[in-house]
Amino acid sequence: MGLNVMNKVMSNKWIIFLYTFPALLLIAVLIVIPLILSGYFGLMDWDGIGAMEFIGLENYIVALQDTKFWESALHSFLLAIFSALSLLIYLAVALILASKIKGANFLRKIYLIPMLLSSVAIAQLWVKIYNPSNGMLNSILMGLGIDNPPAWLADPNIVLYAIFIPIIWQYAGFYILIYYAALKNIPESLVEAAKIDGATPLQIALKIKVPLIMNVFKVTIVLSIVGSLKYFDLIYVMTGGGPNGASEVMASYMYKLAFASYDFGYGSAIGFLLLIITLIVTVIIRKLTASKDEIQY
Amino acid sequence: MFKKKALSVFIMFVLAVLVLAGCASSDDSDTSSGDSNSDSGSDEATVKFMHLWPEGSSAQHHKVVNEIIADFEAENEGVTIDLEVLSNEQYKDKIKVLSTSNELPDVGMTWAAGYMEPYVDGNMYAPLDDVINKDDFVAGTTEAFAIDDTTYGLPLELNISSIYYNKAIFDEYGLEEPETIEELNEIVATLNENGVNPIALGNKDAWTGSMWYMYFANRLGGDQDVLTEAISREISFEDPALVQAAEEVQKLVDADSFVSGFNGLADEEAKSMFMGEQAAMYLIASWDLPNYTTNEDVPQEFRDSVGYFPFPKVDGKGNMNNFVGGPGVGLFVAEDSDVKEEAKAFAAYLTEQWGERAVTDVGIIPATKVDTDSVDLHPMYTDVLNDLNAAENITLYADVQMSAEDAQVHLDMIQALFGGEVTPEEFAKAHEEALSQE
Amino acid sequence: MRRIGYILLYVALAIVAVFQIFPIIWLFMFSLKTNQEIFAGNPFALPTDPKWENYAKVFEGGIGTYFWNSIWITVVATVITILIASMATFAITRMKWKFSGLVLGIIMVGLMIPIHSALIPLYNMFLNVNLIDNPLSIVITYTTYNLPITVMILLGFYTTIPREIEEAAIIDGSSIHRLFFRIILPISAPIMSTTVIINMIYNWNEFVFVNTFISSDKFKTLTVGIQNFIGQYMTDWGAIGATLVISVLPIILAFLFFSDKIMEGITASAVKG
Repeated sequence: MGLNVMNKVMSNKWIIFLYTFPALLLIAVLIVIPLILSGYFGLMDWDGIGAMEFIGLENYIVALQDTKFWESALHSFLLAIFSALSLLIYLAVALILASKIKGANFLRKIYLIPMLLSSVAIAQLWVKIYNPSNGMLNSILMGLGIDNPPAWLADPNIVLYAIFIPIIWQYAGFYILIYYAALKNIPESLVEAAKIDGATPLQIALKIKVPLIMNVFKVTIVLSIVGSLKYFDLIYVMTGGGPNGASEVMASYMYKLAFASYDFGYGSAIGFLLLIITLIVTVIIRKLTASKDEIQY
Repeated sequence: MFKKKALSVFIMFVLAVLVLAGCASSDDSDTSSGDSNSDSGSDEATVKFMHLWPEGSSAQHHKVVNEIIADFEAENEGVTIDLEVLSNEQYKDKIKVLSTSNELPDVGMTWAAGYMEPYVDGNMYAPLDDVINKDDFVAGTTEAFAIDDTTYGLPLELNISSIYYNKAIFDEYGLEEPETIEELNEIVATLNENGVNPIALGNKDAWTGSMWYMYFANRLGGDQDVLTEAISREISFEDPALVQAAEEVQKLVDADSFVSGFNGLADEEAKSMFMGEQAAMYLIASWDLPNYTTNEDVPQEFRDSVGYFPFPKVDGKGNMNNFVGGPGVGLFVAEDSDVKEEAKAFAAYLTEQWGERAVTDVGIIPATKVDTDSVDLHPMYTDVLNDLNAAENITLYADVQMSAEDAQVHLDMIQALFGGEVTPEEFAKAHEEALSQE
Repeated sequence: MRRIGYILLYVALAIVAVFQIFPIIWLFMFSLKTNQEIFAGNPFALPTDPKWENYAKVFEGGIGTYFWNSIWITVVATVITILIASMATFAITRMKWKFSGLVLGIIMVGLMIPIHSALIPLYNMFLNVNLIDNPLSIVITYTTYNLPITVMILLGFYTTIPREIEEAAIIDGSSIHRLFFRIILPISAPIMSTTVIINMIYNWNEFVFVNTFISSDKFKTLTVGIQNFIGQYMTDWGAIGATLVISVLPIILAFLFFSDKIMEGITASAVKG
């Protein structure tokens, strides 16, 4: 009888509508409509000023053959892979911080401070770190006796990876925070029980804690990959996608086309393709990480 | 406790829905000039004006503009100027967004030639021939703001590029201002031998490297302005002079003339190396003059040790009275402005007053003619103004001359050329392809 | 053996801590330097002659209004986002209906839109409803653009809430609103604090939307204070540093507060559970 009541209450259509409507309305109006519009602008030859001309799928066809676009897509994918891999490090840090070691609370606060800084500050910091002649990194390298340290942001073979580091670092706090909250949500009793059974801290972490926050971990995989595929900020400020496109990503390429080259139609088409690519990747990840039985307490 | 929470939740909810459901109530909010006046003949008018000289970074610019605005409002009763100030990048982005909705301010700032072309094509800018007196301007400046012989912008500034150098460093190694590229190469070699960075260059912004390339093309072309002719499609970009100019750039790079990692440095970082006496030379436009003359934030000792020389001859070619430069920003008036007459009057007034006060009060060289005799100026200003008076030709900055799309190709190619990623031939070919597409 | 392990662990943790605290110290030194020291000097170096006037410049620029706007816009947008997101997440994860997957899908699409794709359509929409140069446009935009990520973060937590909690409440005759507001929201306090922090940081540092939708000075936010020091050819980086320091302080305080809330929430729910 209890379950019947439960089912009835929990499938009340009116309540479901009331609870989801605000979110859906906002997203439909302010995100979905602009998305559709950008797909539509992608069908136009339009410099953003004056009349537009319908040219069908031409922009999309050109984009598919545009080597610059595919290069920028490759860079975005590389960033996504590195970001996803770095989640493992963040998870490890969060596990340490959430365990009962002395000073964990204090350390956690310090660890998260960089995420509070705006991109402007972070970009300036890393530009100073990477400066070829006065920068911190090269001062250290030269101090260690390396005569010709690389010009990190000028060398087309290095720049992409050099700029990944601040991007990944910038988001460290974000993921550590999420993992930390999830870990703290694990009932103390489970951990205590395992301790009594003689499990080591490492075993507790890997066999109990990690499986319990798997759902959260899956969400962060999606967040990091989606976030990377549309990433823009530091790239734009630190290198502008240069030199000669060596650090261009999809979003910065789109911005350049729409805002600097006045090719708004083509820029919109690239923006729309970015969305499609992200969508496909997300569906694949969701499929790959889907588990048959959800973990329950 | 519960009730309170639920109530606040409910209020938020209603608020969100209300806001989205049409915002019918916000009709009469104060949305600036748009609805202020539809009849330009009446007494009250609000002219919306956007510029890019914020108070914090450009105190003098900001102050002088405000004073001119106050004077204008005093002289024209009933006209109010509604001001919005943004920084350079944000200004460009915002104008771009505004133009898609045909919401440009009544008066705003524009760049010349390639930048303004789409706006003129889209009928966004009003013709200004009726308010401009071309004789007041330095030759070539209003032309840069004209398309098909109609002027759409009132130029406010004029810059020419020269090589600024540190006299103290030059004296230390017994160096003199070079007149030929060979002499410049020797200077570079001497400085390198002594562990001094020869030339500061921040090519992340690519227009800096572009100035080097442009000067080589300018000198190699002699009295023929090959670059301009190639851009206006009179000649091919694969012209021998333009290819050789690219070769010369690479020779300079190969001789370690520029600071290391220049392709990843912002112009600002390069400038600081020059001003921090970490590099001996720096090619920049005359907008930087205050740093070397009147800017009190820069140590007097450094300012006294800066000199400049014109770009040297290359292969014995080049007219020293030819420069690379151009007008920076100018004023446009929106074609769809509801207060077009007032806007035009204001733009003309601002340009005129600015011309009278720019050099003395702000330290920038206006596009209007300056009488050097009547004002007391730092000698370096007088020299630059004299250069301008003697100028036979000024090649307009390539990224300004070209359409926005081609400019992007140019800037990318400049980085590739300096980085040794393309050969001079490929460099010329990429330009030719981009330019011939239209 | 164990002891050595711990020592090594602490050494590693301390090194990372130094690395993480460094940016704030660096930023503070940056704010006291001249452009010259910032660009050509050693970034580790202390400012030779601390330029406190950088701070004076910032206050002269009149950041009071910007400060207040930043605060209220951040707070209002954060509260609405978290409320709406919590309700939606609750309905999606805890209630039984056919289209929950679809709705979640739509919300997730919201994660994927690049800001610059949305900018021009959004401007046009706000223009049509007369919301340009009205802070509401900013609040609505912040709320909406943070919804997807907030829902995603809440999602992982909501799926782990034991069914028994709900069953007990419903069988006791509690209404669904009561269940949501009295039981689910309080036990999700730790994860809510997390989303508060994330929302706050995003709203506080945002400038593309403000610059585009707002033109009156009286509605602009702190990020505009930074714009004030960027010139056509010259930028006053010391003053920008000072603005950044001033604007990061409130967010640090708020962060420390909510960071402790993550712990408190746990304790509270542990007592209840």
